[in-house]
Amino acid sequence: MDAPKIKKESKNKIRVDFERAPLWERLKGKYFSMRFVKNVLYKIFRLILLLGVSFVILYPYISKIADSFKSFPDFQDITVVYISRNPTIEQYKYIITENQYFRAMLNTFLLSASTALIQTLICALVGYGLAKFKFKGRNIIFAIVIVTMMLPQDILRLPMQNMFWRFDDQHLIGKLLDALGVTTSTIPGKMGIQLGSMNIFGLIPHFALSLTGFGFRNGLFIFLLRQFFTGVPDELEESAYMDGCTTFRTFFQIIIPLAVPMLITVFIFAFSWQWTDDFYINTFWMESYWTSNLSLPDNAKWFEYSFPLLSSGNFAGGGSAANVLGTIYSQGNTKDTGWDMYANAISGTSTILIALPLIIAFIFLQNKIVQGIERSGIVG
Amino acid sequence: MAKNKDFTTVSQDGTVLYHMAPKKTMKLSLTQRKALSGWLLVLPFVIGLILLYGPLIFNSIKAVFYTVDVVPGEVRYYFAGFENIRWAFMEDLYFKTSLINGFKDLLIQVPAIIIFSLFMAIILNQKMVGRAAFRAIFFLPVILSIGIIDTIDTNAALSMDVITGAINDGTDAMMEGGGNNFISMMDLNVLLQNVQVGASFLRVASDLVTNIFDVVSRSGVQMLIFLSGLQSISPAIYESCQIDGASAWETFWKVTLPMISPMILVNSIYTLIDAFTSSGNGVIRHIFNNIGSASNPINTTIPVKDPATGETINMLLKENSLSTTEMWIYVVLIAILVVIVSLLMKAFVFYQKRD
Repeated sequence: MDAPKIKKESKNKIRVDFERAPLWERLKGKYFSMRFVKNVLYKIFRLILLLGVSFVILYPYISKIADSFKSFPDFQDITVVYISRNPTIEQYKYIITENQYFRAMLNTFLLSASTALIQTLICALVGYGLAKFKFKGRNIIFAIVIVTMMLPQDILRLPMQNMFWRFDDQHLIGKLLDALGVTTSTIPGKMGIQLGSMNIFGLIPHFALSLTGFGFRNGLFIFLLRQFFTGVPDELEESAYMDGCTTFRTFFQIIIPLAVPMLITVFIFAFSWQWTDDFYINTFWMESYWTSNLSLPDNAKWFEYSFPLLSSGNFAGGGSAANVLGTIYSQGNTKDTGWDMYANAISGTSTILIALPLIIAFIFLQNKIVQGIERSGIVG
Repeated sequence: MAKNKDFTTVSQDGTVLYHMAPKKTMKLSLTQRKALSGWLLVLPFVIGLILLYGPLIFNSIKAVFYTVDVVPGEVRYYFAGFENIRWAFMEDLYFKTSLINGFKDLLIQVPAIIIFSLFMAIILNQKMVGRAAFRAIFFLPVILSIGIIDTIDTNAALSMDVITGAINDGTDAMMEGGGNNFISMMDLNVLLQNVQVGASFLRVASDLVTNIFDVVSRSGVQMLIFLSGLQSISPAIYESCQIDGASAWETFWKVTLPMISPMILVNSIYTLIDAFTSSGNGVIRHIFNNIGSASNPINTTIPVKDPATGETINMLLKENSLSTTEMWIYVVLIAILVVIVSLLMKAFVFYQKRD
């Protein structure tokens, strides 16, 4: 190949004439190679796969959203699949008005935010203690944390009901309440705490469990945070100690700011799991407990909560909204074809309303979750 | 008499009367102080353990050997010996079947979830347009497929089964969750009829395909753990593989898989525990819905002493202590399974040596 020919030369620019292959040849070389075809095929395959799996994940929500705009006749009409013939927002309307949606949302928000905050703090303390301090019994406590992670919550249903439902004088916490004089209930036993018109007794077990690091999946949080803190270099704390910091000041001023991504992850988990939790709500807020002390409540029987929550039975079964809609379509007790599907659709609409605030928050925060886990040090 | 600074009392003529030892202050060594701080930090947990969790676990285990009778104002425990356990194995019509089915499903679904989440993690780890959006969607079920939403979906799936006349034996662990049957068994049969495989394999395959939503929705956390594991592998290793001319296939088997193997162990155990602690699980559903129902009545009585009258009466075993008993049996079996799985997998796990 000859040396490049200089076509034009000025003070600042130089144009050189290369001997290059024609455009067609170059394109052919680039796009007709096996490698390129393979690459394109792979990318198409990948895109289809990701879209497909995303569809599988989103399908229940898509179908629920589609169902939520249908009216009852749509369910009797076999030709209606996704798009309603006479779209309506009555399902949303009645769930919001009849099931006290906004009040339930506010209550749930307050409950979730406060317990999540407490759980995050307590789990961080415990995780930090387990990660950075050597003391007798540390391994035993860590083993217990792992065990709490592995026991299903249902195993504690019966003892929890017995412990938390019957805070009468025989129980430690009942005695404590008695001593504090917070027994304002007219129900036999010391089981009610009035706040305005609300009976908020059920809050006590939530906070008792959160404050001691035994809330829902708190073992997992302690484990995650312990792994994270183990990865923090000791020199940081040592220099803080040298400067005269106490352990707790070091924790709050040095360690906590470092751990913010992980703490946010834990907070999001704790918050959203409390938001949708029905096990503890089920266990702590049953009506028969308040009204009759006669027997363990029937799981199918839900009550009008004095403290409405999103994960209460009102939302799970459609509740009063389903009753009102049933009256509108004069369903009463007779169940026509399609009524079960319509009832499911009402529950589905409840699901949308329950999940909506979470999804909105999730869209903004999902990056933080991934970051937190990536930095958690689970990976070693 | 004058006292000088070093705790020595001297008389006026200068003779030393006596020495006083310096006053001892409570001074802990650094190690002791750190141990104390450690205890203070874990104190909330210890208090909870003693006041709440310990008694709860104790009462839960106690319920295995007692019949728990809840009467107005109090809870009575009557000793029942091994009657509860005997009932669970000998007289519960569905417990053994549901256990066997539950374990079968675990054995199928856990590998499926692990393989799926590893595969998706590898894909989501590659650079592409919309990666953040896909990651967000894939992670969505972790937040949403739980608690009340899961309950509503399960109930809807069960009632749809009733509506469509599908046979539901109430024992299909993990299989009911989303309840979105994209492909029916028939389609798959048509697809696979020319393939020479046994009917049982066909059932497994069709279960997996029809319940793809369950596999996908339970893979969120596992995917995250794999993702972070993949990101911790040094790119230099892949680079040297490329230079040495290894194909992507070889790189996967020789580099990615060994490096990710500790994550596979963690994920297997996580998946096992997640599957068996979830309330949608068939065994747990059986335990809490099926005991004492019309189709599965409790007929066994034990003699107890009525505290009111002092007479010995025959009392039926109580549903709540029976369900707690069956839960504990299930927990013990799962614990054994977890130990076996972790021992088996430890043989294959590769730990990179740290400096």
